[in-house]
Amino acid sequence: MPDMVSIGQPQQRQFNPYSENGGTILAIAGANFSVIAGDTRQSEGYNIQTRYAPKVFRLTDKAVLAVNGFAADGSMFVKKVKQRLEWYRHAHAKDMPLRAIARLIQTMLYSRRFFPYYVYNILGGIEEDGSGAVYSFDPVGSYERESCRAAGAAQSLVQPFLDNQIYFKNQRPPPGTSNPTHLPLHEVLSLVIDSFTSATERHIEVGDGLEIFVVLAKGSTTQGLENFANVQEMTQTREGERMFNIRRNLKRD
Amino acid sequence: MATASVYSSPGFDFSNQIRNNFLAEKGLPLPKATSTGTTIVGCLFEGGIILGADTRATEGPIVADKNCEKIHYITESIRCCGAGTAADTEFVTNLISSNMEMHALTHGRKPRVVTAMTMLKQYLFRYQGHVGAALVLGGVDSTGPNLFTIHPHGSTDKLPYVTMGSGSLAAMAVFESGWKTKMSREDALQLVKDAIAAGIFNDLGSGSNIDACIITPNHTEMLRNVEMPNERETKEKSYKFRRGTTEWKSESIRKLIVSEEITPIGGDAMDTS
Amino acid sequence: MFLTRSEYDRGVNTFSPEGRLFQVEYAIEAIKLGSTTLGIRTDQGVVLAVEKRVQSPLIESSSIEKIMEIDRHLGCAMSGLTADARTMIDHARVTAQNHSFTYDEKIKVESVTQAVCDLALRFGESVHDEDAMMSRPFGVALLIAGIDEVGPQLYHTDPSGTFVRYQAKAIGSGSEAAQAELQEKWYSQMTLQEANILAMRVLKQVMEEKLDQHNVQLAQVTPQKGFEILDETSLKAVIDQM
Repeated sequence: MPDMVSIGQPQQRQFNPYSENGGTILAIAGANFSVIAGDTRQSEGYNIQTRYAPKVFRLTDKAVLAVNGFAADGSMFVKKVKQRLEWYRHAHAKDMPLRAIARLIQTMLYSRRFFPYYVYNILGGIEEDGSGAVYSFDPVGSYERESCRAAGAAQSLVQPFLDNQIYFKNQRPPPGTSNPTHLPLHEVLSLVIDSFTSATERHIEVGDGLEIFVVLAKGSTTQGLENFANVQEMTQTREGERMFNIRRNLKRD
Repeated sequence: MATASVYSSPGFDFSNQIRNNFLAEKGLPLPKATSTGTTIVGCLFEGGIILGADTRATEGPIVADKNCEKIHYITESIRCCGAGTAADTEFVTNLISSNMEMHALTHGRKPRVVTAMTMLKQYLFRYQGHVGAALVLGGVDSTGPNLFTIHPHGSTDKLPYVTMGSGSLAAMAVFESGWKTKMSREDALQLVKDAIAAGIFNDLGSGSNIDACIITPNHTEMLRNVEMPNERETKEKSYKFRRGTTEWKSESIRKLIVSEEITPIGGDAMDTS
Repeated sequence: MFLTRSEYDRGVNTFSPEGRLFQVEYAIEAIKLGSTTLGIRTDQGVVLAVEKRVQSPLIESSSIEKIMEIDRHLGCAMSGLTADARTMIDHARVTAQNHSFTYDEKIKVESVTQAVCDLALRFGESVHDEDAMMSRPFGVALLIAGIDEVGPQLYHTDPSGTFVRYQAKAIGSGSEAAQAELQEKWYSQMTLQEANILAMRVLKQVMEEKLDQHNVQLAQVTPQKGFEILDETSLKAVIDQM
C-alpha cells in the first residue's frame, strides 16, 4: 500500500539546478599589460562535453572576462555583462572603464544573492591610468584587485605555484637585491603556459586547449609577444590598447 | 540487569557500518581510497587472449599515478586487470595469485582460469561489495582460452570481448564496431589498443599510456606501455632555485662520520681461526 | 501669441492642429516669471548665480534655496516653480548615487542631465498599476553645472525635456537682458573669479532691488573642491570686487 505513506505526510521534492563543469582560469597583471587565460575543456563527471568551450571573453578594447564554474550560468552571465556594457555605451557615449566593469559585476552577482550564478569570475585588463589590472570575484560578488589569481578545478594546484613565482613567496632574494614587483610579459606567458600544462598533468578536468588573452596598455611595445606561436591580434580600434589571442593545444587524455 | 547476550549471528558482522555512517554524517568521513577510475578490456582472438589497460590512477579529480600497472599477475598464463579501489584490486589479485600457486602445488598441475574466477567471486561475494574490485580475468589453460568479468559483488560473465571501469562504454563502443571472431593476433592487439585509447581520450577517469598482455597456450607476453600517446612536453621555463633561496632560522652543522677508538681490556682475543 | 487659444490647451497629451503642446509651452512661460538665474562655464570650473526675491523683510533670506547639490561634482540652479524642482533634483540625486553605486565612478554631467530630461516628459495620465505620475509638465528650468572627465560643463533644461550645453546661460524673468549681457562679456579665457564677478554684475543689472549678499546666491563647481555654495563672507568679497 504505497498510499499509506503519503497520506497527510508532507513530501519534499528536490531539484538541483547547478552542475560543475570543470576547467581552470587564471589571470596575471603586469606593469602595463594583463594576461587572462583558461583551458577549453568542458566536462561533467567523467565525461567530456566538448573539447572547445571558451571560458575567456573580450568585453571591451581593454577588458577581458574569464568565467569558470557552472557553464550555463557562465555563458548567461557573460551575455548579461555584455548587454550592460552596450547599454552603458549608449547611455554615456564611452566604453565602460575596467574598475566600473568590476563594480558592475559585483552588483550583478550580488543581485542574485539568494540564487547565485554558480561562477567564479576573473576580470583582467587595463585601468584608466594605464596599469595592468586583475579583479577576482566570488559567486556572490565579493571582489578585490590583485596582481594574480587562479580559479576553478585546478585552483589549488596553480595558485600556490603563482604565489611562489609571482609574489616570490618562500623565496629569499639574492643578497643585496629585492624580488621584482612586476614580471616582464614573456616571463608571465611562460608561467601561464607551464601552469596549464602542469595542471593538465595532474587534474583530470583540465586539458584539450589553452586560450590566452593579452591586453597591452596604450603605447607599449609587444615585449617579446611575437616570439610565441599562434599569436593573433584582435584589436578593434587602432588608437589605444592592443589585444592579442594565443591558442595552444593541451593534452587530451 | 540480565546478562549481556553473548550470541552473535553467523556470518560476517557489518555492525561497524552503522558506526561509520554515523561518523561520516558527523563530518568524519572515511579516508578516501585511491581508485583506478579505469579503462580495462579483454578480448579473445584466434590464438588466445589479449588484455588491455590504461595507466592512470586517480584520487577524486587528481591524478595520483600517471603510469600505474593495472594488469596483475595470477599465474604465468592467467592475468587479471583491475578497476575500482586500487588497494582492493592489488590485494585480491595478489591473494588469489598465492592461492593459485598453492593449488598448483597441491594438485601437481596447472590450475584453470575458472578456478581463479571462482576463488575471486567467492571472496568478493563474502564481502558483499565492500571489497571494491571490478576485474577482467583472462588466460589460457587446458580447456583453451577463457575470459571473464567479475563484479564487486561477485557476479561473473564469460564473454568473447569485455570491458570494465569508468571507460568501459567508450572501449565497448570500439569492440562492438570492430570485433570479429577468429581475429589475428595483430588485428586483435590493434583493436585492444584502440579500445583503451577510446577510454584514455574520452573518459576523464582514464589516461596516460596503454598496457597490453597477450596470452597464448605456451607464451605470455606482457607489453608494458605499448603505446605512450600522452608524453609531457617540455616546460617553457626552468624552475631551478638558487642555492640559499629558502630562509632558515638557525644553523647547526653536525659531523655524520663518528670515529671510535677501541681499547681491548684483558681476556683472550676472540678466536677467529 | 496665445490669441490662437482653443480647446487644445486643456489636455497635456493633446497636440493642437498646428502641432503644439500648449501645456508644455505654458510651462515654459512659467519660467519667465521666475527669478533670474544664470550660469557661466570657464576652464577652471562652473559658476551658478541666482537672485533671491526677498519680498518681505520678515522672510529669512537664508531659507530661500535656489541652488542645490546633486552630487559632489554636480550642482544645479533653478528658475520657475521651484517646488517642482525638488522632484527633479531628487531624481537627479538618485540617478547620480545609483551610478556611483553600480559603476564606482562619477556620473557624467550629460548623463545626469539626460536623466532629468527623461523625467521632465513623464507627465500625463498614469496607467493603472503605475505609481502616481506627474499630471502636468514641470514648471521649472534648471541650469546643471558639473565637472567630469570631459571637463567643466553647463547644461540648460526646460519643461519640454530639451537640454542644451552652454558656455553661459541666463533663465528667469531677467533672462533676456542677462543673456544679452553674458553674450557681450563672456570670453573663453575667463577665470573662475572673473566669472563670479561677471555673474554678480549681470544679476545686479537685471535686479530691481539693490544687490547684496542676502538677496543673491553664488555657487561653484571646481575640480579641487567640487560643488560648493559660497558663504556670505566669500559672497560679500566677490560683491565688493565688482
